[in-house]
Amino acid sequence: MLLSLLPHQWKAELRSSVFKKSIALNIILGLLILYFGSIFLFLGFYLDKILLKLFPGQDVVATFNGGLVFYFLIDLFFRFLLQDLPVLAVQPYLHLPVKKNKLVHYLLVKSIPSFFNLLPFLLIVPFMQSVVVPAVGQGGATAWLLSLIAITLLNNYLLLYFKRQMSTKPLYTLSFGLAIVLLMLLDYFGLVQLQLVSKAIFGAMLQQPALVAVPILLMVAAYLLNYTFLKSHTYPEELKVRKASEATGTSIAFLSRFGEIGKLIELEVKLIWRHKRTKSILTMSVFFLFYGLLFYRNESYLEGFSFLIFVGIILSGMPMFNYGQFLPGWQSAHFDGLLTLRISPYQFYRAKYWMMVPVMLLAYILTLPYGFFGYKIILINTATLLFNIGVNVYVILFFSVYNKERLDLSKSATFNWQGVGASKFVMVLPAMLLPILIYLPFGLLGVPYAGIAAIGGIGLLGVIFQKQLLQWSANRFVENKYKLAAGYRQSS
Amino acid sequence: MLTIHNLQKVYNGTTVVNVPELSIAAGESVGLVGNNGAGKTTLFRMILDLIRPSKGEVFLKDANVMQSDAWKNYTGSYLDEGFLIDYLTAEEYFRFIGDLHGLSEGDITERLLPFMDLFNGEVLNQRKYIRDFSKGNQKKIGVAAAALSNPELLILDEPFANLDPSSQIRLKNLLRNLREQKRMTMLISSHDLSHVIEVCERIMILEKGQLVQDMQTNENTLRELETYFTV
Repeated sequence: MLLSLLPHQWKAELRSSVFKKSIALNIILGLLILYFGSIFLFLGFYLDKILLKLFPGQDVVATFNGGLVFYFLIDLFFRFLLQDLPVLAVQPYLHLPVKKNKLVHYLLVKSIPSFFNLLPFLLIVPFMQSVVVPAVGQGGATAWLLSLIAITLLNNYLLLYFKRQMSTKPLYTLSFGLAIVLLMLLDYFGLVQLQLVSKAIFGAMLQQPALVAVPILLMVAAYLLNYTFLKSHTYPEELKVRKASEATGTSIAFLSRFGEIGKLIELEVKLIWRHKRTKSILTMSVFFLFYGLLFYRNESYLEGFSFLIFVGIILSGMPMFNYGQFLPGWQSAHFDGLLTLRISPYQFYRAKYWMMVPVMLLAYILTLPYGFFGYKIILINTATLLFNIGVNVYVILFFSVYNKERLDLSKSATFNWQGVGASKFVMVLPAMLLPILIYLPFGLLGVPYAGIAAIGGIGLLGVIFQKQLLQWSANRFVENKYKLAAGYRQSS
Repeated sequence: MLTIHNLQKVYNGTTVVNVPELSIAAGESVGLVGNNGAGKTTLFRMILDLIRPSKGEVFLKDANVMQSDAWKNYTGSYLDEGFLIDYLTAEEYFRFIGDLHGLSEGDITERLLPFMDLFNGEVLNQRKYIRDFSKGNQKKIGVAAAALSNPELLILDEPFANLDPSSQIRLKNLLRNLREQKRMTMLISSHDLSHVIEVCERIMILEKGQLVQDMQTNENTLRELETYFTV
């Protein structure tokens, strides 16, 4: 029975409309998988040397074992954030003569071949072959590997159980993440030596291969826990994690002072706030504010200009790129309605503009403290902010008329490729490259600050000609609205 | 009120709508009947400027709908769930539509009063988003929102589908009242022959995109329609 159900799963993946439609997307996905895969493989073969460099004089296997406990905690954390529950897939089988046990097993087995469960072993298996086997022999190493597999699956099933129980309260996930960070800090300062426990446990596994039974039993227990729970709750309405949510929030009073524009912005703010996918874009954008830390701490990046321009564009522009790349697809579900309402295309686009500008200003203000790394950063970020407001907004609006794919907002944004198409990648290019191209001649002539001024100046021009540029965007929208509406009507 | 010249829509070589000439006078209520795929919704979408016609024009009050937005001020419409902003509550949605037409909170409450019977206590003050309502209640919300601005022209696609029998009868009476009291021009499509005859004074049959019959409603209409649709 399982054997006839699992092919359905394959077909569901392969035939999902997102993958069928875009070749560019498939290529990029393939490249991403290759990229991460090869990084993990590379790490797997060189991990012993890296560990030896970081912790000189210590036993490599013991160091690795010491880190494992943190690895599994972090793994659990990311699963909470990213992993989805495979639940509703059984709905079409419930009324058919298929035994319930089989369906529940199907649900649980189906969760194994996932990115989370497979990727780590690209690192662990080469590490085992090159380091662990020579150290303790094949028997111990195999037991060790089996125990790691068992714990990975234990995490998998623990997540499935707890995520269903607690539904998805972001606060819990966040505090769990903070707790892990706290534990790691305590370990770092030597207050609580969790890594010693980890060393002891996995070290024992290497010495006493029979101990592998413990993690395997734990994994089986987690599986059975899920099994008994699911078996008594195979009703679709009980399986669903999110029930009909109660309406929250009222009108945002201060926005209504801006008349029709305010109304439209309020509508869109509610849209962002009341859907999972848009909310996760919001969180992602917050993370990008820390992007500067990656680069500004490095002296060699601070020397040049082009790289800092790139970072500046990202810092203030990322919320806009993240959200704007799908415009107006967010409203695809009620697009026909919007077109028949008394809203002019110009106002529609003006509302989009005035929603994105304050967000970019806010991102700019929040990232001002990066100025401590050098006043130059403030100059560059101001210029790139102007460029984002004056030019990149229109780049986004220009490409918005090509977003013909309907978006389902109830799904989360992570690993959600719906609506991602070639135009997204084309769009990012001018947004990122144009300012660097503007800067380049000045940089080559040896007057870098004039180049920064040029970027800011061109942005300023865009701000001044705001009305004309918005009108132009709106006109393009009018030309293309039939295509957009037709695309949004096709549910994907 | 509404004039159509030589309107055609062709998809991949198949003509789905072909209406050479049609005019509807102000205050007239017109029912459009036809089997699935006859082109009713496509015709409505072209009237509402949601689909670009392959040929021909639609005029509302002598203005081409593709060139002027003026028709949006006096046209209320509800075709399908694609018209609902489904992450709002029903109240928020009515408020939004009302705001676009400059209605106050009081105006909205007053204009919704006739709908209270139809809503049957299941729509207002529910503290839930439109997306969580049943199909039937979503339809009630859409129809009420379309009529909220007291439009001169009201366009509804299958308003009776998905409603329970009591709601169908209430909606029928409501539409009749709107027609008689407000002199609203109506364009309604329906699969339910008897309801549409009671609401509309003029019935048109659409088949394979062509208007094959156009008649005034009288006591024989239902029988004629039934004969026509009996295969």
